Amino acid sequence: MSRAVAGVAALVALVGGCRRDDAAVTLWHAYTKDERAALEAQAEAWNQDHPEQRVELVAMPYDGFGDKLTSAIPNGNGPDLFIYSQDRLGDWTAAGLLEPIEFWIDDATAGRFTAEALAGLAYHGSLWGLPVAVKSLALFVRTDLVSTPPTTTDALVAMAPTLRARGVYPLAYPVDDLYAHAPWLHGFGGAAMDGDTPTIATAPAVAAAAFARELVAREVVPRDVDGALTATLFAEGKAAMAMSGPWFVADIPAGVPYVITTLPVVSATGRPAAPYLGAEGILMSARAGDKDAAIAVALAFTTDAAARRRAERAHQVVPNPGAYVGDAGRDANLAAFRRQLDDTVAMPVSPAMRAVWTPYKNALGQIVTGAATPAAALERAARDIATYARTAGGS
Amino acid sequence: MSRVDLRRALRDVAVIGALLSVGVLAVFVRARNLDATAASVRHARAAAIAVAAGDAPVVATAAAGVVGPPRQSPRHDFLRRRTVMTATGPRPLGGPTAPAVDKLLYDAAGRFDRDGAFAGLLSDGTGRAVAAVATPRGPAIAITAAAEPRAPLPWLAVLGLIGVTLVVAGAGASLGGRARGVGVGLGLAAWALPATAWGGWPLGLAVAAVAAAAGWAHAVGATDRVGASVRAHRVALSFLGPAGVAMIVLVVVPFAVGLALGFYDHHHGTWTFVGLDNFRRILSGDGHGLSDPLNFWFILGVTLAWTFVNVVLHVGIGTLLALALRQRWLKAKGLWRVLLIVPWAVPNYITALIWKGMFAGEYGAVNSILAGLGLDRVSWFSSWATAFSANVTTNTWLGFPFMMVVALGALESIPRELEEAAEVDGATAWQRFREITLPHLRPALGPAIVLGSIWTFNMFNVIELVSGGKPGGSTDILVTDAYRWAFERGEQYGMAAALGTLIFLLLLGWTLIGRALTRGDEEARP
Repeated sequence: MSRAVAGVAALVALVGGCRRDDAAVTLWHAYTKDERAALEAQAEAWNQDHPEQRVELVAMPYDGFGDKLTSAIPNGNGPDLFIYSQDRLGDWTAAGLLEPIEFWIDDATAGRFTAEALAGLAYHGSLWGLPVAVKSLALFVRTDLVSTPPTTTDALVAMAPTLRARGVYPLAYPVDDLYAHAPWLHGFGGAAMDGDTPTIATAPAVAAAAFARELVAREVVPRDVDGALTATLFAEGKAAMAMSGPWFVADIPAGVPYVITTLPVVSATGRPAAPYLGAEGILMSARAGDKDAAIAVALAFTTDAAARRRAERAHQVVPNPGAYVGDAGRDANLAAFRRQLDDTVAMPVSPAMRAVWTPYKNALGQIVTGAATPAAALERAARDIATYARTAGGS
Repeated sequence: MSRVDLRRALRDVAVIGALLSVGVLAVFVRARNLDATAASVRHARAAAIAVAAGDAPVVATAAAGVVGPPRQSPRHDFLRRRTVMTATGPRPLGGPTAPAVDKLLYDAAGRFDRDGAFAGLLSDGTGRAVAAVATPRGPAIAITAAAEPRAPLPWLAVLGLIGVTLVVAGAGASLGGRARGVGVGLGLAAWALPATAWGGWPLGLAVAAVAAAAGWAHAVGATDRVGASVRAHRVALSFLGPAGVAMIVLVVVPFAVGLALGFYDHHHGTWTFVGLDNFRRILSGDGHGLSDPLNFWFILGVTLAWTFVNVVLHVGIGTLLALALRQRWLKAKGLWRVLLIVPWAVPNYITALIWKGMFAGEYGAVNSILAGLGLDRVSWFSSWATAFSANVTTNTWLGFPFMMVVALGALESIPRELEEAAEVDGATAWQRFREITLPHLRPALGPAIVLGSIWTFNMFNVIELVSGGKPGGSTDILVTDAYRWAFERGEQYGMAAALGTLIFLLLLGWTLIGRALTRGDEEARP
């Protein structure tokens, strides 16, 4: 009997303990390692100053994070705030998952951020989040293999004969991936999207794809390389340079001498290779319980001081120009990514972009192996994308 | 009248009446909520019209006023300031510390600018309504203060109905004869009245039909037989119950939902019923040529080739190894057996990733070996034949141990004397295999082949992780193609579900054929 009572008591305690603190603002994120530690320090500081309005962080695995938000928010089980990049804004705003926040943002608050980063989180005339980090590709260069980083694509191609003689590829990146191919696409004057319309088989896109084919054919770049193999080749000295983003720093073993610099200018057009700019922001759920408290947290987590702590502790490329003082201002890696930001193209937000990635990857795969001509492969991709965009039952 | 008749009548109306009352109450709740919503929206619109006319709102509002046009920030076109004209004068809307209710006015004004006048519930789940109507100075907006109160559940009416049902059924039972069934039917038919009131006459008719059916079933004794069999199998049913519930929740419901989704189109979060259009798109090839991976028949062809080649290799290699393991000259049979089962013991996605790495273009093991032999490196995933071969190689590695184990088991059951006798009689090795070994293998391998072909048909991991459909989706099989419709082609869940239904039908057909083919073997089992 007494055991039964104890069991019931334990169950009650368990249920009570599991109940969420309804007054707290919940913030979901998929950060790990340094980024997570920096965010947790931020939350702890906030909770000490605001015991009546606590922030509760929930770390999520990155895979499936977006889908989890898509299903949890409409059922009222989602967070108040969450950190995500802007690439799903189109879907989520169309489905009414997000709260527009321009109401709370005056020009002084907006002035914290670079115009590009803030604009990255705007869509259809509204602002949907406050930027916490910007991510773009840049050029990682092994200084033991390359003395002067190439500033033009001609110089890059010219490096191949000498380096190949030593069994080294001048550059490694996932050649068939649109995200990694985008710098060339934009450098040749092309774009994957025009507003909500995919623009696939255009003359600049064909020229950029032909250039990627040339990089592989001349053994400037190895084919069949994904992100993980890029890191391995760079770490082992089988690739002298790599095109990657801020996350790549963690993949480089200690002892590998490298610098980060901006991507070269495309010699054929004289325009700089421009990677996609991804803005990661704190977004608010349309079903947030206390929206005033939620926006107060979002505003406090994106001040210059908060951004500076994230830059110093997690080496995040933060979008606050005012944060680059002290250690954050002296960080050479961050400085290189900030220089690259001047030549970036905002990542398309339109839902139509989601159907572009795979056909484009297929096309690039065929182009770089020589299985199809750039024009034919891209026209094929454009047709496939049009098929996917069409709804059943017409339109 | 007999007490038994009365008890039977009351039992039947209690069971069926309970089910009917749950349904009728659900209809009531729905009707009540719709009424409350309509009232909220009506009040919000009336308040907005009053505000537009310059009068005080007629109902309690959380916020109301005429909101002026937006002024754009010079730096960002998505940052806009607005002011609201309230009874106490103009007031700016927005800013880092603005009250929450102001945001409702601000967002409503933005919606008015996009869509024009509107009225509806707020999306925050509070049940409050918002309405905006046009005025020369800008939209007049009103937000109701609270959700409309909802009517309480009509317990008295429900109790009254229960009483009527019981009395009428009881009266019928006490009269006896034909009146028994009529009493049950009429008693239950009382529920048609609230069903009509809350859910319209079609629902009322449906309830009346159920009542009539119940009365008839009672009259002919069908309910007695059901009741008796439930009592007789009480223990069995209580054991089956939990598993039955689990089957319904985990298998039947998802299956039904999957079937239903195939008749809908999903586009950016909205579902539209399109009937058989998804199936028409799939089966007609949707304008893509037969050699195009977007054509269903191409993918089906690849899937069938994939399944056939794999199963032949699995069975062939598995049987050969099983026969080898049976040879008397072989030493350390246990060790060999364990080693040959290892590929099966490793999770298949890990094996698939390892093989993918080995087929990698520049630094993969396979190409390194080829280069070591002085041969050209092969770009495995840039042509259909090589990519398909890479997939088949991986899946053969994964699949032969199962067939080997099945064949080993069957071989063990062959009496040694039989073979020795045949040997003594002068049968050749081939004759012994054909006349003794093969007939013993067939009953065990038949079902294994059906099972193995279904596994291979749906082998998502190997295709997705090794070739990933490369080049250009041409090595995709039906399941990976369905996955791509759902997750890589703009979330067309309807197309994916329709493909899933077709896969199910194909495999159902194949299972029936397989069963017919192997039934003969089982009967002939020695």
